[in-house]
Amino acid sequence: MTQCLTGKKVLMKGNYAIANAAVLAGCECYFGYPITPQSEIGEFMSGKMQELGRAYVSAESELAAINMTIGACSTGAKAMTSSSSCAVSLMQEGLSYATSDQLPVVLVSVMRGGPGLGNIYPSQGDYFQATKGGGNGDYHLIVLAPSTVQECADLTYKAFYLAHKYKNPTVLLADGMLGQMMEPVEFKKYPYPEIDNSKWALDGAKGRTNRVIRSYAPLASNQCVYLEELYKKYKLIEENEVEWEEIGTEDADVVLVSFGSSARNAKIAAKLLREKGVKAGILRPITLYPFPAKRLSELALKVKKFITVEVNMGQMVNDVRLAVNGKVPVELIHKPVGIPPAPVEIVKQVEELI
Amino acid sequence: MEKVIVIAGFGGQGVLLAGEVLANAFMLDNKNVTWYPSYGAEMRGGTVNCSVTVSDDEIGNVESPTSDFIIVLNQASFDKFEPLVKEGGTIIVNTSLANKVQNRHDINYVFAPITRLAEEKLGSNKMSNILSLGILSVSSGLVSTSTLEKALNNVIPPHRRNLIPKNVEALKLGYEYDLLKV
Repeated sequence: MTQCLTGKKVLMKGNYAIANAAVLAGCECYFGYPITPQSEIGEFMSGKMQELGRAYVSAESELAAINMTIGACSTGAKAMTSSSSCAVSLMQEGLSYATSDQLPVVLVSVMRGGPGLGNIYPSQGDYFQATKGGGNGDYHLIVLAPSTVQECADLTYKAFYLAHKYKNPTVLLADGMLGQMMEPVEFKKYPYPEIDNSKWALDGAKGRTNRVIRSYAPLASNQCVYLEELYKKYKLIEENEVEWEEIGTEDADVVLVSFGSSARNAKIAAKLLREKGVKAGILRPITLYPFPAKRLSELALKVKKFITVEVNMGQMVNDVRLAVNGKVPVELIHKPVGIPPAPVEIVKQVEELI
Repeated sequence: MEKVIVIAGFGGQGVLLAGEVLANAFMLDNKNVTWYPSYGAEMRGGTVNCSVTVSDDEIGNVESPTSDFIIVLNQASFDKFEPLVKEGGTIIVNTSLANKVQNRHDINYVFAPITRLAEEKLGSNKMSNILSLGILSVSSGLVSTSTLEKALNNVIPPHRRNLIPKNVEALKLGYEYDLLKV
């Protein structure tokens, strides 16, 4: 598998689509350590990056991989790493530092079962890990959640763009199902403008004074100023970058809220419910941070009930409840791990809940 | 109309590759299609299967619990998947490696000595997987052998191009296999 083409439909695994899109997005450095179910990303990169004369390092651990990515990003390079659940846990310190350093790290997180070593089957159990973070301090990662292999490619482009635009670590949050399944995908040319990083990148201090990128403000007042600035950035992100898909919500009594692979099934379930005369709609967050909370809160004024569909024990349901703020009930349909609940199963449970 | 096709056998029979060829063929016919492998703590010689879903509409489920067409290349797969064929669906059974038994009355059975045919007519049992796609083509009417042939070109890597004529022959042999004979 060494293709890097644009403008032709090809059948590809989600993992390969992510890797190929990263290459097309201009990723100059990849650092990673293999783990199922995302190993194909590293496999693809190991061949393609060398072929193109770019950097590929098979790191000795995930700690090394994230810190190598931080190092590369500090020079202004487009760099990424990829991993899965229990190994993304090992990267949390690095992500917190990269946020503090304001570096455009791109992390592809292909979720599998947890906690702990868990298993290698698909899961959405790292919604909290990605959106709330396991690192210390006040920070957000930008989180994008693809639902098809086509989106695996498109949102990889977007991850690089947003990471560089906001100088903030960005996570592409896929899962084992999307990583392992094949679907037709067409690679467009990288559609976003290149971001000028000449004002901050550590590119050698020739003809200018030295620069420092660090994650340390020894004086309390400095840290206060720093965090206020950081959160101005997050406000901008929340105002400008929320993305979601909405179907059949205009007149809906019940709105299913679902992201990533489970949104595929929820979408079909909403359609089946309509056929049965239930006024159902679906809202699919594409950005998990920033979360479409404002839109949910608007919908809460006319919808009777929200139901999230997730493959975990109920994580995003909490964010929907926060957004809805008690206006209407928010229920959960879930499966702990594996492929998402089948559409007919979702329909059955929705009928019991309404 | 959504159709689900499962191909199952043991590791090494090329069921994932056959599924990839089939899924590519559906893509070439401008259908929506998904391919999903059984993956887990598998080992060589263990059972393996993949699920191909084709539809004119958006596809949700990539691994449906039941299927419209199932190709089983060995006995273990027959035992596992015979109960999972949808009512009115079809199971294609490789009688070289599975018994010719019909436990249900609400599904269609297609029996063919797939491995033996591949060995005798094509000189290699490795052709079984693609030969079975020829049988699927004629018994399902979902995809033509000419599209499958184009799909082979998409899937087989450049350094294995020499194997394409043999695989095309396998498709043809499967397609022309006299289903009434059994």
